[in-house]
Amino acid sequence: MDEGDIALRNVTYRRFVELGRAPTADEVGEWDAAAVEQGWRRLHDAHALVLQPGTVELRMANPFSATPTAYRVHADGRWWFANCAWDAFGICAALHVDGRIESTCPDCGEPIAIEVLDGKPDDETLLFHCLLPAAQWWDDIVFT
Amino acid sequence: MNLFRSEEHVARWLNRRGAGATIPVTVLAELAQAWWHDRLAPDWRPHTRDQNQAILDRIGLTGEFWRLP
Repeated sequence: MDEGDIALRNVTYRRFVELGRAPTADEVGEWDAAAVEQGWRRLHDAHALVLQPGTVELRMANPFSATPTAYRVHADGRWWFANCAWDAFGICAALHVDGRIESTCPDCGEPIAIEVLDGKPDDETLLFHCLLPAAQWWDDIVFT
Repeated sequence: MNLFRSEEHVARWLNRRGAGATIPVTVLAELAQAWWHDRLAPDWRPHTRDQNQAILDRIGLTGEFWRLP
């Protein structure tokens, strides 16, 4: 990841937060769309963001998800989708704000709602399960 | 990477799948804070593998399961 790609990555993330959704290649601003797409491909390969398979559209700007997921987060006056439970807390951490996480228990389907205050959950009884070992997280990041 | 109401719910959801690792949501929150807090910094730089491993280690997520490639 060279300095140009890091700059593109940082502007992409900034635009994601400004827009409240994933930017398209022509919404990033400082580069033409073709240059953005080439840069996004390199950033995808470097695990700095994730593209939709077979496209140059954003799928993840971790911890943010560009597509609906089971983890919704209300933070900084907006609802966001997180890629997983880890990322749901990550959205509050990245924005440096309190927030509310809403999801459902994958087993019983009952709603789960957590208020995050100063980075801490108000319900400390819940458990987080990580299915895959760290060595395999990026084998299929969408599944992870 | 999901949240569950209890160990019983985790076990039932796993069914015959091999279990991964289960940690308290309080540890997850601590991990998320350390892992993601700088993601929107204007001068963000990529974390190295060793920096990320140090975050996991510091929070007590050690052992082969939590060993980054």
